[in-house]
Amino acid sequence: MKILLVEDERKIADLVCEGMAGRGMEVVHCENGNTGFDAACDTSFDAIVLDIMLPGRDGLSVLKGLRTAGIKTPIILLTARNYLGDRVEGLNQGADDYLAKPFFVEELVARIHALVRRVSSERQNTVEVGALVLDRISRQATCHGQTIELTTREFTLLEYLMRSPGQVFTRSQILEHVWGYDFDPSTNIVDVCIKRIRSKMALLTDAADASPIEAVRGAGYRFRPQP
Amino acid sequence: MTVSFRTRVIVLATLTVSATVAAVVFVGWSRIVKFELTRLDERLCMELRRIDTQPGMGQDVARLQNDLMSKLRVSAPEQVMVRVESVAGRPAFQTANWSDDINLLRGLPLPSDDASALTGARPVDGSPERPPRAERPRGPNRPPGPDRPPGPGYPAVEERPPRPDGPPAFERSAEADFAPGAQPDGRSRPGQRNCQVSSFEAQGKQWRAAFTAQPRQRSLVAVDVAATQAELQNAYRSALALVIPLALLLTGLGALLLSSMTMSPVNRLRNAMKSVDQKALAQRLATGDEDREFKELIAAYNTMLERLALSFRQASRFSSDAAHELQTPLTILQGHLERALYSAGHSSDKSDLTVMLDEVGRLSAITRKLLLLSQADAGHLALHLTPVVLTAMLQGLVLDADMLTTGQEVASTIAPGLVVQADALLLTQLFNNLITNAVRYCLPHGRIEVLAQRLPGGVEVVFANSTSAISADARAQFFDRFYRGDAAHNRQVEGSGLGLSLAREIAKAHGGELSLVPSALTQVRMRLWLPDAAAQAAH
Repeated sequence: MKILLVEDERKIADLVCEGMAGRGMEVVHCENGNTGFDAACDTSFDAIVLDIMLPGRDGLSVLKGLRTAGIKTPIILLTARNYLGDRVEGLNQGADDYLAKPFFVEELVARIHALVRRVSSERQNTVEVGALVLDRISRQATCHGQTIELTTREFTLLEYLMRSPGQVFTRSQILEHVWGYDFDPSTNIVDVCIKRIRSKMALLTDAADASPIEAVRGAGYRFRPQP
Repeated sequence: MTVSFRTRVIVLATLTVSATVAAVVFVGWSRIVKFELTRLDERLCMELRRIDTQPGMGQDVARLQNDLMSKLRVSAPEQVMVRVESVAGRPAFQTANWSDDINLLRGLPLPSDDASALTGARPVDGSPERPPRAERPRGPNRPPGPDRPPGPGYPAVEERPPRPDGPPAFERSAEADFAPGAQPDGRSRPGQRNCQVSSFEAQGKQWRAAFTAQPRQRSLVAVDVAATQAELQNAYRSALALVIPLALLLTGLGALLLSSMTMSPVNRLRNAMKSVDQKALAQRLATGDEDREFKELIAAYNTMLERLALSFRQASRFSSDAAHELQTPLTILQGHLERALYSAGHSSDKSDLTVMLDEVGRLSAITRKLLLLSQADAGHLALHLTPVVLTAMLQGLVLDADMLTTGQEVASTIAPGLVVQADALLLTQLFNNLITNAVRYCLPHGRIEVLAQRLPGGVEVVFANSTSAISADARAQFFDRFYRGDAAHNRQVEGSGLGLSLAREIAKAHGGELSLVPSALTQVRMRLWLPDAAAQAAH
């Protein structure tokens, strides 16, 4: 997967590049709006991560230029100042998603994956890891034909973990992804939710699949990678 | 007590006009009285001459009295007085009301058969018999010479020529001297007489008298002054009775009109000022075609607004900039912690990093809220409106509350199919805040309620939780920024104290409102009202 990152803040760019490279993405980095726009005209990118505050052309102008030029590469905006206004403006100008600073690189990667899946119309309605299958339409989980009833939050959490088996997610990341911004980070809701998913899965007859979610001490949770 | 400007103008105008009217009435009346007195004097002299020239008058005093009554315009016989003295001061005839203490005639030369006394017949100034008021100035009203043409009013009487130099001189004392014979050149003709006038008091009334000394007789005609003026006074009074209320009414109306005219630009200005709120500081009042004074007022107001807008922009820019400047280092910090967490080997290191990551997350949340609040204050909390299925969102929240609570009861009554036009991100933030507050402050075995229903014009959502008793004072502070309940401090509850304030701004931005509903002391009820799209558009 080939990603274009347009971000002027060197340190943030390094972190993002490193994080995405670690997940098998090829990243091209531009430091200002003008070079970013030129690079983006190359349609070989799968997605563009575009900061709004840029030297030269600002992000919104680049976005507008690209859409006017008929380039439909999925774009995620990184917003900071006045992020609500930029967000609305960006979405109206044809951005596909947005992420407010500060953000988790993990979350950015998840968003890019979701976006690429959505736009490339190889729309997966199911997520499968081992015997566990998530149906994104009916929002049901099945394991060896047995149905597990999950609430919306439980389903979203499980899907988030199952998208990257083996990847550790911190509570903050999970909280932000599943509950959105401004959910009280001091609550233990992530742990409670995971406990509930586990107890629902423990009812399954095949005990081998009973607890695919592992706690990583001191860090968070991950979906057990398949051998 | 504050008095309305309009009332004040009306009262002041009425007072001014009243004072003016009073002055005019007073001056007018005194002028009329003086003028009438002169006319009266002339009439008296005329009557006196008639008596003198028609010797038969003395035959029927009653008839004479009646005649004088009609001529002098009085209503009763006792209001006129006549006395004619013949040789040596003996009375030839007199009216019944004559009293002998009237001494006006005594100053005149006694009539006698001696015709040689004729030419010198004039009153002597300073004569001891005369009353002190007989002292009179001479000068401006010096009687005219006989060569002057007779006036139209008295064509037959040469002794009473009109004064061509205008109206009678009121500066003269009550006594007027119409004696042409008093001229120093002494060109008097036979038959010429003095006619002197004077005022005196008798029988408790004020009288006006004309008297002459003839070679053969002295005579006096007097009339009750008040009686002659009675008619005039009545006419004057009835005229005033009409004019004064009319004047006051017109004044009142004029003042009303004037104050309305004055107030109308002020009212326009006030309405324009009312429409300016913090969201519309950029708006300026148009000077339009106002008068110069009001143009200056509007300009001053606009200048003030300009300064206000500037400082508001600066304050708003400051928190916006501050939050923004914090975000870049926070992003870097968070990224490095995230990376370190993945590469850390020991679980104790991981715990430390997780704690740090959590704190960075909290810091980020605060800067994000500050940023949102500063945008809300500046009036551009930009909304990305999409249809939001409120029912599903609230059901999710109830499940969250269920997961978060231990021992508390979570009850909900959520109407099916509730959809609103809203900014999903901000609405989630609002609800997250309400539900976490409800869970945070709910008593260990308390109850949390979530109610949502469609009402005419919008959707109502109520969050309620039982709590330890909260005073009205504390409740009033709920929406203050950085306010946290005592319970929060005592129980070490987390939270920035910005959430509710932001939640309220989000509700406002949607054209709705978030308010604390009055409830029992041990319950907190938050009511969110979200109007329908049409109402939002109107907002």
